Amino acid sequence: MSFIPGQPVTAVVQRIEIRKLQHGEHLILGFSIGGGIDQDPGQNPFSEDKSDKGIYVTRVTPGGPAEVAGLMMGDKVMQVNGWDMTMVTHDQARKRLTKKDEDIVRLLVTRKSLEQAVRHSMM
Amino acid sequence: MFCRNQTTRATIARGSALEMEIRRGKFRRSVFLDTLQDSDIQKKIDHEIRMRDGACKLLAACSQRDQALEASKSLLTCNIRIMAYMSELQRMKEAQVMQRVALRSSDAGPTDDRLPCKGKVAISDLRIPLMWKDTEYFKNKGELHRCAVFCLLQVGAEIHDTDMVIVDRTLTDICFDNTIVFSEASPGFELRVELYSCCSEEDYSAGSTHRKLASKLSSSLGRSAGKKLRVAMDPGACSPISNGGGATLLLPLPSVGPKYHLLAHTTLSLSHVQDSFRTHDLSISGNEECSHWVPLYGNVCCRLAAQPHCMTQQMISGCLKVKQFGGDPQSWTNVYGVLKGTNLFCYHRQEDIEANVEPAFTISINKKTRIRASEKDLHSKAQSICISNHYGGEEVTHTLSADSREDTHRWMEAFWQQFYDMSQWKQCCDDLMKIELPSPRKPTLVTSKQGSLYHEMVIDTSDDISTVTDILARRMQELELRSQLGTSPPWMSLFEESPGCPRTHNRLPHSPLRCPRPGLLSSEASLTSDSYSPCSTSPCSRHSGWAEPLSSPSSHFRPRTLSLDAKLSTLRGRGYGGVLQCSCQPPSSSSLAPIPAQRIPQATLSCSSSTSSNSSSEGSHSPELSNGTSFSRPSSARRSLRNLRAKLDPRNWLQSQV
Repeated sequence: MSFIPGQPVTAVVQRIEIRKLQHGEHLILGFSIGGGIDQDPGQNPFSEDKSDKGIYVTRVTPGGPAEVAGLMMGDKVMQVNGWDMTMVTHDQARKRLTKKDEDIVRLLVTRKSLEQAVRHSMM
Repeated sequence: MFCRNQTTRATIARGSALEMEIRRGKFRRSVFLDTLQDSDIQKKIDHEIRMRDGACKLLAACSQRDQALEASKSLLTCNIRIMAYMSELQRMKEAQVMQRVALRSSDAGPTDDRLPCKGKVAISDLRIPLMWKDTEYFKNKGELHRCAVFCLLQVGAEIHDTDMVIVDRTLTDICFDNTIVFSEASPGFELRVELYSCCSEEDYSAGSTHRKLASKLSSSLGRSAGKKLRVAMDPGACSPISNGGGATLLLPLPSVGPKYHLLAHTTLSLSHVQDSFRTHDLSISGNEECSHWVPLYGNVCCRLAAQPHCMTQQMISGCLKVKQFGGDPQSWTNVYGVLKGTNLFCYHRQEDIEANVEPAFTISINKKTRIRASEKDLHSKAQSICISNHYGGEEVTHTLSADSREDTHRWMEAFWQQFYDMSQWKQCCDDLMKIELPSPRKPTLVTSKQGSLYHEMVIDTSDDISTVTDILARRMQELELRSQLGTSPPWMSLFEESPGCPRTHNRLPHSPLRCPRPGLLSSEASLTSDSYSPCSTSPCSRHSGWAEPLSSPSSHFRPRTLSLDAKLSTLRGRGYGGVLQCSCQPPSSSSLAPIPAQRIPQATLSCSSSTSSNSSSEGSHSPELSNGTSFSRPSSARRSLRNLRAKLDPRNWLQSQV
């Protein structure tokens, strides 16, 4: 998942559709994110490339909507509802996921196992 | 002969030489008849003369400029006071004479003039704006020309002076902080405000002599001139008050020493009294050529307040019977009434006043109240007084009845007097104006204009960072925490609960904000402890882990400097998070320096340990929490607090729950 700045990024992605769950007065998705262009990428335990400032899924609540939808820990979120997540700050990412008037978020995520799976399937 | 300092006899012995002289008309008897007021003023005059002697001697003897200025100021004040007292004395004697003349001719009947009550007049917060040429003010060229100024405030014979202020072109206004209260002023008072100034340079002698020469001359003249002055100030040399004429008391001013000149004056009266600040015009005497010139803008701002006695004191009190008009004729209530200010307070019993019990009811007596005495009242013999007010749109009338005719008459008199006072004091009777009495002690702390933390905190060098954090924590509580990042100062997070900042080496600090620390491990992420879970999670052990490296460096914590504040605020403007990473460590504190060096290996250790277990779901980075609390969110204040903290700490890698 390394990228060359200025060059388009290609990745094998999986579409994950998460339906938000109403919990009290909040709509929750059931996972945690980390990363962002304003964060220190060296502390990201999930990224392969330690200069990757993308948004990663750091934790998935067991039994939550995200787990049900198939999100896994370590996934890198590329898009949320069409909005890019590869070049955003942490707060922007959080806001895009927690919009109050959206019930469903459609994520494009990528993970290493996906690439491997594709490579295997092509062989 | 008769000396001023001795009290004179009230009677003159028959057959004495003085009586003969009086008969011959050489001396008026009135000179020797001391009324009580005369002796008061006489005492004051004597006091002022003694003060003036002292000031002259001090002026001759002192060598320092500011001492000389102060002495000259008191000299001038004494002189003016003496003249005022003398003219007051003269006026009183003339009034006595007129009275005696009037009584003798007995054509004037008993004067029916009602006198208005006196009151307190207070003037405070005097401020005189200055108007420097912009070349002088901004470019700051040339020598700093300084002047010493002070104000004299006079009502009748009462003269007060303000403190002396040194003015130079770095000042935009002359401010006098004194509050001056005149206790017995009539509504027709005239408050004369005079501004005196004196050039505050080395040479006091007139003329533009060479500076060194002038200083030599002035210092040498001081001694000889002082001797001359002492001779001149001998009381025997002054002529006594001559009868009939004006005061011909010699008031020699010392020829050497700083001299004050009148720079501006104005007169304030009842129409200028208001409960707030007002600007008044000044009449300026003098021009640019004078040595004592200070460029005045032409105004003076001050707060002139008045408290007439009718508003502050009880004018009359006594037992009354009150009935509301139109009510049952038999429903008289016995009350103890107190007339004060714009109200007639009716208490059940007289003791209630001291007991601070609320009055049974209050009848307002203001300009719109109408009072009349009703002649006939079928059920009581005495006259009764009807008081009518408009409350809202309604007219409410109370009927008062006193015990006897004399009492009723007394009450009516009091009411008329009250109305008269209110008509004389006009706007002062609408509401009670506050007058703050000047406190005798001066505040030692100078309030700074800036509100930065540096000015408000006093950090002892022996204090450690925990005291600083305590202070900051307290301050943070005062600040309103909003969810926006921009409203909280960025320095806050440096001293908050991130484990990156060492708390103390000796003791655990107690701060209310640290209480939720164990609760950090909740579903609301942005947690700092997550990343460092290989370290022990309990705060105590973490601290003990840092104890050794912290104790060895110097335990002094240098107070945070302004530059750090500035730096942090610029950094905050640029954005949070990673930008603050490298520069947020306070450069002034040596005790913090070794910490990052120690943290980093730990951090990488934890990182590498988790990357090795990347695919496994439970990394060491996941915060421990129970499922039950996984969906709960803490209150928004705490969440925003933690958000802020986490966002601004560069050592974190933020995680947010969505």
